[in-house]
Amino acid sequence: MQQADIANYIEGVKHGDRRLLSKAITLVESVHPDHQESARRLVDNLLPFSGKGIRLGVTGVPGVGKSTFIESLGLALIEKNHRVAVLAVDPSSRRSGGSILGDKTRMEKLSAESHAFIRPSPSGGTLGGVAAKTREAIILCEAAGFDVVIVETVGVGQSETVVSSMVDFFLILMLAGAGDELQGIKKGIMELADAIAINKADGENLEKAEKAKGDYENALHYLMPASPIWRPVVHTVSAIENKGVQDIWDAVLSHREAFLATGALEHKRKRQAIDWMNQMVEEELKRQFYSHPYVKTSLPDIIRDIENGLLSPGTAFKKLFALKL
Amino acid sequence: MAEHPLKGKWTARAEKELRGKPLSDLDWDTPEGITVKPLYTAEDIEGLECVNTLPGSAPYVRGPKATMYAGRPWTVRQYAGFSTAKKSNEFYRKNLAAGQKGLSVAFDLATHRGYDSDHPRVVGDVGKAGVAVDSVEDMKILFDQIPLDEMSVSMTMNGAVLPILAGYIVAAEEQGVSQEKLTGTIQNDILKEYLTRNTYIYPPVPSMRIVSDIIGYCSKHMPKYNTVSISGYHMMEAGANSVLQTAFTLADGLEYVKAALAAGQDIDAFAPRLSFFFGIGMNFFMDIAMLRAARFLWNEIIDQFNPKNPTSRMLRTHCQTSGWSLTEQDPYNNIIRTTLECMSAVLGGTQSLHTNSFDEAVGLPTELSSRIARNTQIIVQEESQVCHVVDPLGGSYYVESLTNGIITEVRKILNEVEGLGGMAKAIESGMPKMRIEESAARRQARIDMGKDVIVGVNKYKITDNTHLDVLEVSSTVRDEQIARLKKIKETRNNDKVKQCLDALTRAAETDGNLLEASIAAVRERATVGEISDAIENVFGRYVATTRCISGVYAAEFDNSDTITDLRKRTDNFLSNHGRRPRILLVKMGQDGHDRGIKVIATAYADFGFDVDISPMFQTPDEAAKMAIENDVHVVGVSSLAAGHKVLVPDLIGKLKSSGADDIKVVVGGVIPPGDYDFLYKCGAVAVFGPGTNVTESANRLLDEIEKTDHAAG
Repeated sequence: MQQADIANYIEGVKHGDRRLLSKAITLVESVHPDHQESARRLVDNLLPFSGKGIRLGVTGVPGVGKSTFIESLGLALIEKNHRVAVLAVDPSSRRSGGSILGDKTRMEKLSAESHAFIRPSPSGGTLGGVAAKTREAIILCEAAGFDVVIVETVGVGQSETVVSSMVDFFLILMLAGAGDELQGIKKGIMELADAIAINKADGENLEKAEKAKGDYENALHYLMPASPIWRPVVHTVSAIENKGVQDIWDAVLSHREAFLATGALEHKRKRQAIDWMNQMVEEELKRQFYSHPYVKTSLPDIIRDIENGLLSPGTAFKKLFALKL
Repeated sequence: MAEHPLKGKWTARAEKELRGKPLSDLDWDTPEGITVKPLYTAEDIEGLECVNTLPGSAPYVRGPKATMYAGRPWTVRQYAGFSTAKKSNEFYRKNLAAGQKGLSVAFDLATHRGYDSDHPRVVGDVGKAGVAVDSVEDMKILFDQIPLDEMSVSMTMNGAVLPILAGYIVAAEEQGVSQEKLTGTIQNDILKEYLTRNTYIYPPVPSMRIVSDIIGYCSKHMPKYNTVSISGYHMMEAGANSVLQTAFTLADGLEYVKAALAAGQDIDAFAPRLSFFFGIGMNFFMDIAMLRAARFLWNEIIDQFNPKNPTSRMLRTHCQTSGWSLTEQDPYNNIIRTTLECMSAVLGGTQSLHTNSFDEAVGLPTELSSRIARNTQIIVQEESQVCHVVDPLGGSYYVESLTNGIITEVRKILNEVEGLGGMAKAIESGMPKMRIEESAARRQARIDMGKDVIVGVNKYKITDNTHLDVLEVSSTVRDEQIARLKKIKETRNNDKVKQCLDALTRAAETDGNLLEASIAAVRERATVGEISDAIENVFGRYVATTRCISGVYAAEFDNSDTITDLRKRTDNFLSNHGRRPRILLVKMGQDGHDRGIKVIATAYADFGFDVDISPMFQTPDEAAKMAIENDVHVVGVSSLAAGHKVLVPDLIGKLKSSGADDIKVVVGGVIPPGDYDFLYKCGAVAVFGPGTNVTESANRLLDEIEKTDHAAG
């Protein structure tokens, strides 16, 4: 990519040009080795123009109503003169590599708003639900003038930790089940939450949702909060009836207020920057390992040997690392 | 009865003819999940509950009437409507003079969705896939010189059912015909709209209330009028096989019955006025058996409500030949397809029939193609001598077995639906829609791999294109409608209109009868859009959740070289460009036919594309914004309702003006061949008509995308 193109992207994003922001995200998401350096320069140049936005992570199992919730919240924020970017990650198929990204069908009104930018990205098979370059995309959106960035992921277990390490506030959406809500949820995930929203608290579900709220509040009570200055909250929400959405936003704001006042936000962001670097290191090590000619040629044989019981995993591992990389 | 004494000999002879291959090689596993054997004998129908019954009495397998066509043949009822009310009226009167017996009105999509012609969301839709009706004034023109006390009129309307039915009632009133004399049918089958065609306005629960309000009003004031036409046709067109069509249609019917009973109606007051509407495809014997099985099962379903009137148990149905079975390639073949489907409907015992025009895969029918379509069934009725005998296939070993097979399979699905809490709940769960889409994706895969033969499409292809004239709707229709709307709003008493609309909103808030309140508003010249809005204020507008299946297409495609090659190609694309080829599939305008994009979405994802799907009913502006934000390589526009000539140029223009002219646009759906050049000139890079092989289209798209250098991936 030409120097001039990068400059063009940088200027375009800073001026909030939707087309160039979108192409810039494509560039940072690219897995082509030739694009990596341009992408890095792009992000580095835009980093100083980012950071002022509120970064909100939203997760939950499929069918919990994440998109409907984000649509309600996004529309409410736009009414308050915010500019809202949504980065939604859809899982890719393992077999074909392809994906169906249907998020906008569930955010019909928000996607038509001129103050909203919604970008669904395929997960590309990494990290169970988070695109590898969501952090970069957050920076670009903020540099383009979006002051609220919402990261939506499918909660499948692993992705929660990754998402919570790139946002200021982490929200988990839950459904009221048949009474034994807490069974399916790992303690580790609950610990990450800054707030839990019991969604679809409408109609016949209302009573169940209120009960679930109590259960979660109890459970959270016995958990060590992630930060000493914030006790996670639980609210019931009906995204369809637009109830409770404001409660969640109020929580986001008071969390922010507390974090700004104590310097905890700055601290958190710094820690996240280190996480970010660590992740890049891990990815690059992995990439270099698997693209090494020796590994590339010997790996299929080694795998076959394991399958045929000729090699133990440990010996195989040793064999792969036998050659100095 | 034991096995036929000579069965063993037959088996030996058959195996000899097969040169050692097992006899089971001749079994055919139908998409419905029924195994069809090469030979049926008396043994196969022994003890079947549907066999050896009589027409005109329960269980009605052999027909609702004792004499069926021997007494009176089915009604030739051709579905038509386009452009303005005046144009459609001329067309109707010509057809009635040429032997058509009943009217069937097609409304445009703007009307279906409760928008007046001047609404900004309907620019490409006015007068296209049906007639534009904005007010009772249009309705009066539509039925001008057609005596509504003698003519039975069927109206396909589900979303804007209140203003349209009210408009028909008031038009008749002003013709001097009182309500109780009106005969005909309003489709009023909202449940299936959530499954297939998407021409709903309000959410399911209030929509069900509208249905029972109409049933309630009509059972009191319009005793000869069919209040719901429970429709499977659209499900079949969306890809449902015959078992799915029957099961979900009957389940919808049951849901309406329960709603009416819950509203305090007596079963015998409304059940006799429920009618059905089935689609008939190319599986000749299957669909004959389907109609017979449906009648049997409806009797069984209604039985639990202890009706006194036998008519309550009778399934009476209209049928239409399949539009989806028609091809753009070698289109005269469609006349033969329609003839076979017509025979199937007739041998199945339909009460009325629409036969399609052969050019419907490419555009709106012309006068010539409409005449051939009409004559197809008139020739069967008046020349072929099939009408003399009731249920001529009754007792056929094969047809009776097949009837029984469908009954068995349908019962399984009906039980499943009941298990989910009835059809309304099942629809909420997404189960029926997913089943239909899965069936559609499988069928597309079978066609693309040549397993299901379609002459002219995947076998015996011809190279020269047949040129067909298609009807083009004048682009001035919208202007004419807008002018008439303006005039109405100037000449009516606007205070009275407001009072009526307020009353309607109140009726929606409370439990007033909505049809009654709509009739009052129509008398004062409230428009379709105003009436719909007055109710929308309370009920809201429904937004569908799009769910997608994946992996189905590839799973059916067992000749997987084609798919492996495509996956290699998309993998290479990823290595070369840093990301996968990405396509946005959009539906613009009020065209709600989404089977096409669903099949394409699942197939393309299986090939390794990243596929974005737009919400339904987009404007070109909204579609362009989405294409830009998602930074797709290509936008695929699906158009089945003639809006493409307005919407596609708009979209391309919008992309250009936003600096995204590198995003390519392709168009698929029902596109008249004469419009291809127009679309190419506007900047579309490919146009895919019906019958396009999906794997071929994907390769073609990749060719187009790879033509551009994608600097940023």
